[in-house]
Amino acid sequence: MNMNVGLSDVLLISPMIALFLVSLIPITAKVLRGNREQPHAVTLAQALIGIVIAIGLLIVFGGGGKTAFNNGLIFDGVTQWMGIIALGAAGAAMVMMYENPSTTGKQFSELIFLAMSSAVGMLILVSAVDLLMVFIGLEMMSLALYLMIAMSHEEKLSKEAALKYFILGSFASALFLYGVAFIFGSTGGTNILAFMDSAAELVQTSRLFLFGITFVILGFCFKVSIAPFHAWTPDVYQGAPTPHTAFMATAVKTVSFAAFLRVIATKSLIGSDHLFDILQWLAVITMILGNTAAIIQNNFKRMIAYSSVAHSGYLLIGIITAGVSDNGAFGASGVIFYLLSYALMTLGAFAIASMLEKSENHIVNVDDLAGFAKQRPMLALCLTVFLLSLAGIPPTLGFFGKFYLFNAAIGEGLLWLAIWGMISSVIGVYYYLRPVVVMYMKEGNAEVASHSLNATTVTTVIMALAIVIMGFVSGPIFSAVEKSLF
Amino acid sequence: MILSSIVFLPLLFALIVAVWPKSNTIRHLALGLSIVEFILSLALFRQFDPNSAGLQMVEKFMWIERFGIQYFMGIDGISLWLVLLTTFLTPIIILGSWTSITERVKGFHVAMFVLQTAMLGTFLAMDAIFFYVFWELSLVPMYFMVGIWGGARRIYATVKFFIYTFAGSVMMLVAIIYMMYLTQEATGTMSASLLDFYKLKIPFVGGTFFSLQTLLFFAFALAFAIKVPAFPVHTWLPDAHVEAPTPGSVILAGVMLKMGTYGFMRWVIPLFPEASEYWAWLFMLIGTVGIIYGALVAMVQPDVKKLVAYSSVSHMGYILVGLFAFNAYGMSGGLYQMLNHGISTGALFLLIGMIYERTHSREISKYGGLAGVLPLFTIFFFIITLSSIAVPLTNGFVGEFLILLGTFQAEPVFAYFAVSGVILGAVYMLWMFKRVFFGEKGELVKDEHHPLHDLNAREIAVLVPLVIMVFWMGLFPNHFLNYSKASIDYLVNNRSNYNLTIVEPGATSTQHAQGGN
Repeated sequence: MNMNVGLSDVLLISPMIALFLVSLIPITAKVLRGNREQPHAVTLAQALIGIVIAIGLLIVFGGGGKTAFNNGLIFDGVTQWMGIIALGAAGAAMVMMYENPSTTGKQFSELIFLAMSSAVGMLILVSAVDLLMVFIGLEMMSLALYLMIAMSHEEKLSKEAALKYFILGSFASALFLYGVAFIFGSTGGTNILAFMDSAAELVQTSRLFLFGITFVILGFCFKVSIAPFHAWTPDVYQGAPTPHTAFMATAVKTVSFAAFLRVIATKSLIGSDHLFDILQWLAVITMILGNTAAIIQNNFKRMIAYSSVAHSGYLLIGIITAGVSDNGAFGASGVIFYLLSYALMTLGAFAIASMLEKSENHIVNVDDLAGFAKQRPMLALCLTVFLLSLAGIPPTLGFFGKFYLFNAAIGEGLLWLAIWGMISSVIGVYYYLRPVVVMYMKEGNAEVASHSLNATTVTTVIMALAIVIMGFVSGPIFSAVEKSLF
Repeated sequence: MILSSIVFLPLLFALIVAVWPKSNTIRHLALGLSIVEFILSLALFRQFDPNSAGLQMVEKFMWIERFGIQYFMGIDGISLWLVLLTTFLTPIIILGSWTSITERVKGFHVAMFVLQTAMLGTFLAMDAIFFYVFWELSLVPMYFMVGIWGGARRIYATVKFFIYTFAGSVMMLVAIIYMMYLTQEATGTMSASLLDFYKLKIPFVGGTFFSLQTLLFFAFALAFAIKVPAFPVHTWLPDAHVEAPTPGSVILAGVMLKMGTYGFMRWVIPLFPEASEYWAWLFMLIGTVGIIYGALVAMVQPDVKKLVAYSSVSHMGYILVGLFAFNAYGMSGGLYQMLNHGISTGALFLLIGMIYERTHSREISKYGGLAGVLPLFTIFFFIITLSSIAVPLTNGFVGEFLILLGTFQAEPVFAYFAVSGVILGAVYMLWMFKRVFFGEKGELVKDEHHPLHDLNAREIAVLVPLVIMVFWMGLFPNHFLNYSKASIDYLVNNRSNYNLTIVEPGATSTQHAQGGN
């Protein structure tokens, strides 16, 4: 294999390099200070600067459709958009980590280092087109996350969550790798670009390849919590410290979907009816199961966890749409736009949950929100916006996310999937309204935690505003996404 | 820019109210702003050309270009009166809620103004997605209004209201998206504009249930029928009404239900002409059953508010029957009845709110002999009762008469049954009136610790405009009907080939009349 790595490759991966270099600053500083933490605000500022630089570099150098490292990485519209969404979400999650009682302890520098390493993995994942590169990205992202979750000190649930996440995550990785081996066996390579044009035919002619691609897809189904591979999600989301949950539910999910999209873009779905059917049913089951299971949850985080399972179902509709259409850009931009809206509203919801946590072991239940609207009208309004957006009520961004996604599906003739999506969003309304009911209509004295939470509050308000404002200008954003994918 | 100002000013008002620092003057501020809004809406008459059936004062620009979704507003003879009904009722409701809403006053008025924007937008939007945004937005403030300021079972009622109406409209969204693709197939460019939808010739093969037009028809009709609310999807309404605070009930009965019947006129009937005609029997049946069922259930209600709520089911049934008669009488009767119901039922809910504030009970059996104690209240209640049971010279008569006339012309069978609603309506209203106002003084009325006071100046000021409208609309229906005549005639005569045109400002009215017919 001829390996030519030049300056252009380095420029292309400069966001990852920058992010990695900046991630070293907090722990280096800690070592130089004799194992004493620098002020947390400084650590956070360093991390955010790193993320801003990485986003800037991604915008400047990414997006041209160029490949790097012998076609192992590609930098196109998907890389750019998904990367920006993931990094933004990671940044917001780090702001939450800065102020949440279970993450702001003695090891904050290490935590931020791990989060940023995980973000480097994410950047690899959004640009990887070689299945082994995908695997490297997945593992780099996940390993850092397992550690992050396990690192929180007292919480018993988070140890359990870390273990569960680790075991099931490894299982998913194994499944994925197993599939990659099959694909290698049948095509003699692992590069998606290499078998892009022939995949539709290969799934019909080569049993080996069909096995391989199926296992790869199942691996992703684990990662993005598609039912019935979702079982780890509620436990891990609930057990992990809330900022980590926000990180997993948004950034991790975004990049996993990016990689999923790349595999689906091989048009294997067009070749195999069965694969197509299976994915359709998985989408339906995921939407219905996520939404119905969320109804009976009282734990706020668990409820949002099930809601995120349901949203994976909606996103799977977009993935299928992208997979079966001749011009995948429409479906893919539906997915990207939906992820953008999903990331904003889910981060917002978790940010509120994070603010309500008074101590490390505090569990926030929906009933605890009673009287929240009287105590903190501004935050209650923000949470209402997030929940209405999650439910898909216009004119919020969440509505337009669903609109574009289902629009693409209907355009590809997947009308019945769109109808299932609509039916399950009606179920969803029921539980999304419950916190609103409790906040505004029940007496109580919900208080946010006593220590100062300015940064999180600012992030929350910005996200709520973004959801409302971006709803009105969603058209140009969507067009921009779609144009960048051609 | 007049339509945009009318629609979005209330949103601005909501912001003003939200940041207003003095809590004790919020009511005055809100009342003043809502009156400004009403006066502004009167300015519509200066520009509105009653001889034209076309879409007037149009404002449009591309909103989401990728899918041909436009910011598109226009007004015609059908939406004109519904807009005015909305702006007319809002100041009355705000004045009427003066003493009944005492908690979270600011939030209440914010919700009120947001709701006003949503309702006005629904009536004026001429783009399907733009319309849908307003349509769904209206749920949110109403949800808070019932849920925060409502009665004991308010949470059950408000969640039921929200989910029922949301569930009804999601299929409409799928249908809208589908129709956007149909426009793309037909013309090459995608569009969500209602005018482009009208041009679609959607296949309707033999009336089978699975013809495309039938499916789309039902997707829309379900959303509107739930909002109306038509039997048997009406069950959210009594709950919502009983639990809602007085202003919530007034706005719900006065305007929100009309969004459903308006939807039938604006969307369902012209968009799916063959399917509407084929399934007209079903909707006339649903309407007729609603009339009789609503009246019978109203009769046995012990709670006066619930009685009026069920009477709404009955009255809205009339409108449905009238619309599906497909003739000028039925349609204009239906439109007229929408306004009547808004005024009479709105007034009834206000009156019930006033007596509830005094006695904290709505149970009919606990009243009795009120006429001797509250003469002024009795007079107002009596006038509105007459209007509600459609006594000649009141507004209700004109509406019901036109509807029945139209129904007899179209489907006499349904008219025979529908007409019984007139009698049943008189029975339950007058019987209730008798039990509340005459006879022995009930336990609430003779309670010496809490002597009842007759209406005060504010309450009279709330009711007088409504009473004026009752007689004005009853005595001079042409003042109102003339404005919608051209639009209704055009809808009736060109139902299967409906092609609403945009009237350019400055063109002479005779041309529109020709063009319109």
